[in-house]
Amino acid sequence: MNLRRISRGAAAWFEERLGLNAVMELLKRKEVPQNKDTIWTYTGSLILLFFGIQVVTGIMLAFYYKPTLELANKSIGRIMTEVPLGWIIRSVHFWSATFMIAIAFIHLLSIWIIKSYRKPRELTWMSGVFLLVFTLAFGFTGYLLPWDDLSLAATKVGTDIPRSIPLVGVWVTKFLRGGDDISGDTLSRFFSFHISILPLCLLAVLCFHIYLIQKQGMSLPLGAQERVDKKRALPFWPNFVFREAIVWLIFSGVLITMAVLLPPSLSKAADLMAPAPEGIKPEWYFLFLFQTLKIFPPKILFVNGDTVAVLVIFAGVILFFCLPLIDNKPEQRKGKFITFAAYLFILYAVAMSVWSLLS
Amino acid sequence: MKLKQSLFTRRQFLNGLLGGWLGALAATFAYPIVKFLFPPTPEPEQVILPLADYSSIPPNSIKPFAWGSKPGFIKKSDNGTLVAFVAVCTHLDCTVAYLADQRKFFCACHDGWYDDNGTNIGGPPPKPLRRLVLAEEGANLIVKREVTK
Repeated sequence: MNLRRISRGAAAWFEERLGLNAVMELLKRKEVPQNKDTIWTYTGSLILLFFGIQVVTGIMLAFYYKPTLELANKSIGRIMTEVPLGWIIRSVHFWSATFMIAIAFIHLLSIWIIKSYRKPRELTWMSGVFLLVFTLAFGFTGYLLPWDDLSLAATKVGTDIPRSIPLVGVWVTKFLRGGDDISGDTLSRFFSFHISILPLCLLAVLCFHIYLIQKQGMSLPLGAQERVDKKRALPFWPNFVFREAIVWLIFSGVLITMAVLLPPSLSKAADLMAPAPEGIKPEWYFLFLFQTLKIFPPKILFVNGDTVAVLVIFAGVILFFCLPLIDNKPEQRKGKFITFAAYLFILYAVAMSVWSLLS
Repeated sequence: MKLKQSLFTRRQFLNGLLGGWLGALAATFAYPIVKFLFPPTPEPEQVILPLADYSSIPPNSIKPFAWGSKPGFIKKSDNGTLVAFVAVCTHLDCTVAYLADQRKFFCACHDGWYDDNGTNIGGPPPKPLRRLVLAEEGANLIVKREVTK
């Protein structure tokens, strides 16, 4: 029992200086309401789990990855074949990104439908939209880094899209590419976005997002009786954390299974002068936007079809961002229409993605 | 035999079980991470060099080659035989230079000296320079690891 006395002494020494017991007390007092919508609460912490995995595996990959024209593709090849367990680290990074984006979509859609963004949680929603944009930007920038022909083609198309925005578009494209065309500078720029700028942006907004959630507590569903629900609430520590741990373990298992069975491929190094490979498609999370851009005709009333499409998508994102301000009375008829809009959006996104996959 | 008093409480037992299990779980995640961080850098079995490039150097001079990721020297003695060294100081891993006029290998990091056979003769180096085995096969000069005794 001597060891126990030493560890207790050490814990007391740190506690005297850090005062973390106050935080633990707060977590014990924090409550998570139990109702039909509780299951969606787990999506938030799952995104956090996958983000954590991305940080760890990303740092590890950066130990061997070399962001230059000559070495980018080769260094990934080396990670996949020579570095001990490198193939699974890259595979986990790939699959964890996929899971993170999928669950971020589910997280936002569930909040849209159960309307947890209503007053006073408007800023939580808006910071969440920023987090989604950053997450997608992670996916977009990371896709270029293996520098194979698919990733080059996807980046060419992706960085060309802003060009159709009036006034600023050309400059946005130039900024993203580091010049008029894709070059080695684009690669190092994307690497810098991917491992330094985006993580800092995401962490800052994430802290704000989590602070708001802690400050305001979990929202209750519309029409819930506060008192009845209060009685059924679970303490955050340890009850809710243990339940979360179960969900984390299950998803870690699924993640590693996918990573082992379906590791991402690596085709030959991109050639800047080669024609685009046939049948290029973006990753699944951009498919519905990709298909939307495709169905617009080249000219709509003397205006470039692309410009209209990009502006429509941009307007959609702004509406999405301002959702809590538009839907300020969720219990009324307007609220029903907003719910309907959510299902319509899901239907549209799924239909467009399937169409794009089949065409 | 039934103990009058249990050695630990049920809570301690369960905490130990859960803690041990969490520790084991952490270890299974830590293992691949640690593995990943240490890439294998095996020393080559042999390095094949074009013989003509190395046999043509003047006596009492050296020509560098790559022994895997380490620098190596091929040195021609006065009688024309070739000798191979790993050009790494045995003190703290700096690359040594050959000073032909003094017939010595010199390590500039901490003033280490070796004679032209690679024997440490001055300064901090604790051991002679590592020798490699040379063999001539047709037009190739083959450098192999020294035979371990």
